[in-house]
Parts: sequence; structure tokens; C-alpha cells
Amino acid sequence: MAGPRRWTSFVFPALLLAALEAWTRTVGQGSDALAPPTAAVRALGGALADGSLLSATAFTLGSAALGLALGALLGVALGTLLGLSRLATRLGFLSIEVLRPIPSVALIPLAMLVFGFGLRMEVSIVAFACLWPMLILSQAAVQQVEPRLLEVARALQLTPLQRFAWIVGPAMVPRLFVALRLGVAIALVVAVTVEIAANPHGMGYAMMIAQQSLDPALMLGWLGWIGCIGFAINAGAQALQRAVARRMGDEALA
Amino acid sequence: MKAPEGAGAARAATLAPPVLQFDGVAITLGGRQILSPVQLQVRRGEFVCVIGPSGCGKTTLLRAAAGFVAPSAGRVLHQGQPVTAPRRDVAFVFQDYGRALLPWRTVASNVALALEAARVPPAQRGDAIDRVLHTVGLSAHADKFPAQLSGGMQQRVQIARCLAQRPDVMLMDEPFGALDAMTRETLQDELARLVRDEGLTVMFVTHDLDEAIYLGDRVVALRSNPTPERPSVAALVDVALPQPRQQIATKEHPEFLRLRRELYHYLGHP
Repeated sequence: MAGPRRWTSFVFPALLLAALEAWTRTVGQGSDALAPPTAAVRALGGALADGSLLSATAFTLGSAALGLALGALLGVALGTLLGLSRLATRLGFLSIEVLRPIPSVALIPLAMLVFGFGLRMEVSIVAFACLWPMLILSQAAVQQVEPRLLEVARALQLTPLQRFAWIVGPAMVPRLFVALRLGVAIALVVAVTVEIAANPHGMGYAMMIAQQSLDPALMLGWLGWIGCIGFAINAGAQALQRAVARRMGDEALA
Repeated sequence: MKAPEGAGAARAATLAPPVLQFDGVAITLGGRQILSPVQLQVRRGEFVCVIGPSGCGKTTLLRAAAGFVAPSAGRVLHQGQPVTAPRRDVAFVFQDYGRALLPWRTVASNVALALEAARVPPAQRGDAIDRVLHTVGLSAHADKFPAQLSGGMQQRVQIARCLAQRPDVMLMDEPFGALDAMTRETLQDELARLVRDEGLTVMFVTHDLDEAIYLGDRVVALRSNPTPERPSVAALVDVALPQPRQQIATKEHPEFLRLRRELYHYLGHP
């Protein structure tokens, strides 16, 4: 990206923040809902000082990562199986179509009963949410392997195991990273949602507490922080996906 | 002066045992007859070209020889044994080289696939890879990925992989059809040299009549929509042109022009 274009995209957010700052310091002074961005940053600095910023961020990111890992592992394994075997597709079709549309947050009450508050409950819901896209996309990745490569596998008389290890598996990788990028976004959204709705831990909960104690500055501080974290994670996942796609020779996904 | 090699090759071809034998091979797809019973032998060391208009079943015939499709009637024999599935000693060069190579493997590693499949011990793979890459002139590009190579070079990689299979017959499905004219002629000459040096047996499908006559010891012309009176095999001609062939001299040879005139009608031209 060229230098000038890099900073032009920051003009609009900066103007917006300046407008908010001006409004909250003049007309909207004393608002219970909004606070000046500078106050939000100061409040966030306080959270950093007392250690709550670090611990809450670590909890949310940790449970999102664990849930994603669990969901991805299961999703890729099941999706690959479904992609490889027509019998498995037929056997699994109904169960998947019934389970998949359940909103993941609708599992909060059940997860709360089974696991209680804490890490395991949040991880289980994040895993459920990530499982489906990973499963569907892995299944598609298997089915979209270049048919010509499967003929090469036949011509070379590869065993099913060799065909998977040398052809199908590597051919899936770039698409799996696309799925993983989607999973990363879902994991963060679901983790924060679970914390806002039920789990008394993490960034979502910290933001709720700030709101309930009528501290709009801290609440907005957390909101901005969550936004920054989400942006950074997405950018990282995208860079990883591109790097993998390029390494695997798949220019279409790079 | 050596004796005209065209005649020698033809004589060797009649004496050598058949590597491939099409025994009344007929193929029906979706109720439509693509190929009416084909009777054909490909002998050791022979270069047989198959031509015909689009949809005449020339690729299907080749795929039946490879074991990719099962004939609806008749059978293909390889070394006297019925072909029921693809096998490593019958190599197949696909037209779409871009899709037939593993994009995530380097040139050397793509060639290695054939050796891995044949369970060649890792210690012996290096030499075998160097040898075939040298044969197709890609020694300098062993560590590149297919996407970094031109179309002609990618097709050479596929040919190298097929050579690494140590096949006793190479089936080539319009291998140069997607290449520009210059690259095509270069690769034709390289293939002809390869066939002479390595004593390969080749069955080569093309829709380019000049290419078929230039490369082949024999040319089989197929016609589309076969009927009992007009079977798939429209003509089977020996090409008595001297070897090695040359792009200019061979294509100006009276025999080349005669064959071209004789076969031209079979490509569906009025």
C-alpha cells in the first residue's frame, strides 16, 4: 500500500473521535452513556495499572483460542471424514442439519449447568460455534481438490493413505486457513458475548461491570480495546492465511 | 549414409511384441456410442499418433488404455494382461499440465512423487530425479515451484515425472495442445529425441495433423459418430519419413505432403 493511502483511511475515524470529544465536552457534558475518548483512554490506563486489563484480556483470548482449537480440531476431522466418505455424509447429514442452526449462545444455560461459571463453559460454547464453519469448509475443501490430481494419484497407484497424505491433505491446507480465519473472528465474538451474557470473567464482563457502575468512560475504553484486539487478530490471521496460500502455490487464495 | 530409418522402424514395429493391444474396444457413454470396436496394436518402440475431430473419442480411447475408463465392450491388453486399473508402468501425460502438478511441491519434489509412489528408497531418489530433469532440460529449475515456470516448462515437469515412473508405454493426451507454436515445435523435437534415446513406446493423441505426421511412425485417424458401416478407425497409415525428423525439411518432404493430403479429410473437413 502506498504511503498516502495508508493514512487517508485514518482520517475518518480521527474526525469521528474528535467530534465525540468535542460533543461530550460541550453539549453532552455529564452524559451517562457517552464519555470523551480521552477519558476512555485514561480509564483504560487505570485498568492497565490495576492489572485488570491484562487478566481480562488474557482470559477472553485464552478461552477464545482454546475453544477455536477444540472446534477446529473436531471440525476439520469430521469435515474431512464427511468429505472423503459418501456413507459418512449420508449418516451425518440429518444430525448436522439439526444441530448446526442452533445459535451458539442458546447453549449458555446448558453449558452453565454442565460446567458452571468459568473457563470450561466459555470454551465449550466457542468450540460449538467454531465447529460448524470449520466442518462445512473442511468438507468443501476435500471435495474441491483438483480432480486431475486425483487422477494423477490413480495413475501412480497411490494407496488411500498416500493419496490423503500427499495429495488431498496438502491441497486442503490453503482452504483450511481461510476457514481458520473465519473461525478466529467467530471465536472472539462468541467469547465476548458469553462474558456479557453470563460468564463473570474476561473483557465482556469487565465492560458490563463498567456499564452497571455508570462509568461510561471505562465502558467505552473496554469497547475500544475489544475493537483493537479484534482488528489485530483478524489482521494477523489474514497475514497467516496469505503466507500459507503463497507457500502452497495457491495464488487464488493468496 | 545410414539406411532410411523410417523403413527400419516400421520393420522393427512389425517384429516387436505388442505392448498395447486394443481388442475390439468399444465405448458407450450415456447411451451414445463414442467408439465403435477398435482393433489396434502398439508395438515396442513405436510412436503411434491418434488424430480425429473433437468428440471422436480419441481421448477416451487413450483413457481406456490407461485404465481410467472401462470399455463397454472388448478389452485393452498391456503386455498380454487385461488393463483393469491404472498402473505405474503405463504413464499418462495430461494436456492440462497446470492442474496435473502439485502446486505446493517444487519441480524436483513433483518428480519425486513418482519415485515415492514406487517406493524407491530415499537414497536412490536424488540420482533418478537428476537424471530425468537433465533429460527434459530442467536441471537448473529443480527448486522452483510450478507457478514460477512457463507452460512449456511445466509440461516438461509432467513428462519428467512420467519418465521417473520408468514406464514401458507413455500415453500422451494432446500434451502440447495448450502451448504456443514455438514452444510446441521445441517440445516436439525434444520428445522425438527422448523417444529415440530412451526407446520409449508412445501413444500420442492430437488434433494437429502436422504434429501427428511429424512425430508418428503410424497415424490412426478416428471419425466421430461411428456406425457399423463407418467404424471409428477411419484410416491407419504408416509414416515412412526418415528419422530424425526436422521441422523444415520433414514438413517439405513429398511424403509428408502426400500423407497430409490423404489424412486431411478424416479430420472432418469437407
